[in-house]
Amino acid sequence: MPQVKIIAKNFMDMVASLPAMKLDKLYDNAFICEAILRSLPPLAKKYVLQMLYIDEPVLATSIHEWVLADGESKHTVAVDRLVQLRVFIETVDRKKGTTYRLNTKFQINLQKHIVHGGVLPREPMPSTITVRLPSLEDLEAYAAEQWECFLLHLISSGQAERTTNFSSSMMKIFQRGLLSQRDKEAPKLTESGFQFLLMDTNAQLWYIIREYITNSEERGVDTADLISFLLELSFHVTGEAYNMNTLTDIQRNVIKDLADLGLVKLQQGRKESWFIPTKLATNLSISLSDLSSRKQGFVVVETNFRVYAYSSSKLLCEILRLFSRVEYQLPNLIVAAITKESLYNAFENGIMAEQASIDSLLYIITFLQQNAHPRVAERIPSVPENVTDQIRLWESDMNRVEMTPASLFDEFPSRDVFEAACDFAREYGGVLWEDSKKMRLVVKAEILGQIREFLRR
Amino acid sequence: MTPVQPKLSTDDVSLLMVLIDTNPFFWSAENTTSILFSKFLAHVVAFLNSVLLLNQLNQVVVIATGINTCDYVYDSAAAGALPNQRAESLLQKLVEFVVKDEQLAKEDSVDGIGSSLLSGSLSMALCYIQRVFRSGPHHPQPRILCLHGSPDGPEQYVAIMNAIFSAQRSMVPIDSCLLGAQHSAFLQQASYITGGVYLKPQQLDGLFQYLSTVFASDLYSRNFLQLPKPVGVDFRASCFCHKNTIDMGYICSVCLSIFCKHHKNCSTCGSVFGQAQTNAPSTSNQKRKTPET
Repeated sequence: MPQVKIIAKNFMDMVASLPAMKLDKLYDNAFICEAILRSLPPLAKKYVLQMLYIDEPVLATSIHEWVLADGESKHTVAVDRLVQLRVFIETVDRKKGTTYRLNTKFQINLQKHIVHGGVLPREPMPSTITVRLPSLEDLEAYAAEQWECFLLHLISSGQAERTTNFSSSMMKIFQRGLLSQRDKEAPKLTESGFQFLLMDTNAQLWYIIREYITNSEERGVDTADLISFLLELSFHVTGEAYNMNTLTDIQRNVIKDLADLGLVKLQQGRKESWFIPTKLATNLSISLSDLSSRKQGFVVVETNFRVYAYSSSKLLCEILRLFSRVEYQLPNLIVAAITKESLYNAFENGIMAEQASIDSLLYIITFLQQNAHPRVAERIPSVPENVTDQIRLWESDMNRVEMTPASLFDEFPSRDVFEAACDFAREYGGVLWEDSKKMRLVVKAEILGQIREFLRR
Repeated sequence: MTPVQPKLSTDDVSLLMVLIDTNPFFWSAENTTSILFSKFLAHVVAFLNSVLLLNQLNQVVVIATGINTCDYVYDSAAAGALPNQRAESLLQKLVEFVVKDEQLAKEDSVDGIGSSLLSGSLSMALCYIQRVFRSGPHHPQPRILCLHGSPDGPEQYVAIMNAIFSAQRSMVPIDSCLLGAQHSAFLQQASYITGGVYLKPQQLDGLFQYLSTVFASDLYSRNFLQLPKPVGVDFRASCFCHKNTIDMGYICSVCLSIFCKHHKNCSTCGSVFGQAQTNAPSTSNQKRKTPET
C-alpha cells in the first residue's frame, strides 16, 4: 500500500536531483558553492577542504587511507554524496582504478572565498539614509506572526484575519497533499497534513519551499534560478535592509511571495523600497537537525493528561485541537486534555489509508516534547511516561485489525493449477491465506492482475 | 567544584581558539624558522576563512601571544565582524597589539630569543571557553590551536600545567603546530594530556595544507580520521626553585612540588623535610629509609 509521507527533505536533496547541466550552471554562483559545502556531512567537508589545492585527480584508494576503520560507513556516505552533487567528478580507469577530482568551477569559487574571505551578496542600505529599521526582536516576531498567519490560512482559510498575497491557485498547490476535500464537505486534514502541522517551523518551511520550487516551472520561473536566489538570500545579514532595485523582475515577484511567508519584511522608503531578511530566510541553508534554531517551548503536560499551553496563538489552539479536547482558553493560556476520544479523532482525521499510522503517534509525542516549557524541559522525560505509554496503548487499540485489500480465488479446475497459482503468488509475496483442501486462495489485491494473467495461460 | 560537562552533540559546530605566537625575536632571528611572518599570516588567514566557511555557526577567536602580554585580536562572533573585512580587522588589531607589547618591554629583560607568554594566552582561551559553556545548553564544541615557535619558558611551567589540566577537565583538546626548529615539551604534554594533535610540519611553505588537513577537522570527524600520532612526548618537568628543566629531582611528599636541590622545607606548602643524607643518591632512597628508623 503506497503511502504518501512527508519527509522533511533537505534543500540539498532537491539540488542533488537536478540534472547535471543545471547543477554545473548553479556552481557558477559562489554562494551556492558555499551553501552546498556547508550542507555536506562533516567528513565530506573535510575531503573538499583537503582536495581544494590539489589539481590532479586523487585515487579513491588514497582518499580511503584518510579514514580509520571505524569510519568506513561514514566515508562511503561522504563520497557518495560528493559524487551525487557533482562536487567530486569520478573517473573510472581500468588500469589505475577510480580517481576523483573536484569540480573545477566549485574549486575555483571556494579558493577565491578562502583567499578573500566571504563576500556579501549585495550592499546593505548605507547608514546615511535615516530610516527606522525594525529591531531583531521585532523582526523575529514579525516573521513568526507572518508564518502563523500563512499556516492558519493554509489549514482553514476562514480563520485567518488577513488574506495573503498568494493566489488561490498557489494556495491550492500548497494544500494539495495536506488537505483532502470531498464534494461539498469542509476540507479535512490528511495524514500528511496532520504530520505537517506538528513538525517544527524549519521543517514546515522546507516543505512549503519545496512545493514552491517544484511548481516554479509552471509560473515561468527557472528552477535553478529560483534555487540560487533562495540560497543567496540565506547569505544576507538578518536585520539589514537591501535595496529592491538590485533584484531582477522575477526575483522581485518571488520576494513578494517570500514576504507572505515571513522570510523577508518589505519596507517602503521615501524613494526606494527595501527588503529585510528575517531569521527564517537566513536559516534556509542550515540543515534541519540544527538545534540552534529551536524556539522556546510553552507546553506542559501533566500526569493527569492535561495539557497547558502558555500561548495565545490561534494556530497552536488549532494544532492542539487535532489531538486533544480544548477545555478553555484564557488570554495567555490554553488548557486541553488528552482523552481516548480526542486521540481516536486524531487518528481518524489523519488516516487516509486503512491503517492508523504509527508515525502520527510519534509526531504527537515529539511535538509535545519539542515544545516543552523550559520548566519541564529540564526533566527527563519532559512528557510524563504514563501519558506517552497510554497514547501508545490507545493507538495499538485502534490497530487490532489490519485490513488489506484482497481477492479470493476458488473452484480451481485441478490441484496442479491450484498449486501452481499458490507458488506463483508466493513468489510475489502476495499469499494471504490458502486452504489446500477446498482449494481456495486469497491474494493481495496488488498482484491480482499478474495472477489473472498467469491463470489465463 | 563540579567539572563543567560540555554537551556533546553530533553536530560539527566548532569554536576554534587560535593562539598566534608574535614573539618578535623569534620571527626576526635567522635560522629559527623557514617561513616569514607575513607568509605565515597569509596561511593563517586562509585557514580561518576555511574554518568559517565549513559551517555558518563556526566561530573563530584569535589570541596573540606576545612576550610581555597577550590579547584577543579577532573574534568572528563580535558585532560588526563583516566577513569581507576579516583580514583587515585582524591585521589592524595585530599591529596595535605588537606596539602595546613593545611598550611593555623592559629594557634589558631579554637575552636571546626569549619565550612567549603561552601560559597567559592559554588561560585567556580557557576563560573564553568557560564563558561559552555557561552561555547556554547549545554551544559550539571548543578546541584550542597553538601556532607556536618560541622556545619554552621554564618559568611558566606551573601556570602552563595548570592550564593544561583545566583544559583536560573541561574536555577541550589543545592542538599544537610547531613553527620553529625545536620541539616544545610543554605543547607535547598539552596535546598528549588533552587528546589534541601535536605536529611539527616539515615544509612550512605548505602550512595551509597542514592546517586544513589536520587542524581543520572538527571533534566529531576526528573519531573517523587518521591524524598524526604522537611520536614521543618529553615529560620532563621544571623545578619550582630555579625553573630549570630536570630529569631527576626532589618531590615534596605532601604537595608534589618539584625541586632540583634538597631544601629544608617546601616552599609551596611549608612542610618540613627530613635530614638529607649527603651521600643519598636520590630522594626515593631516603624516603624508603624514613619509616624504618
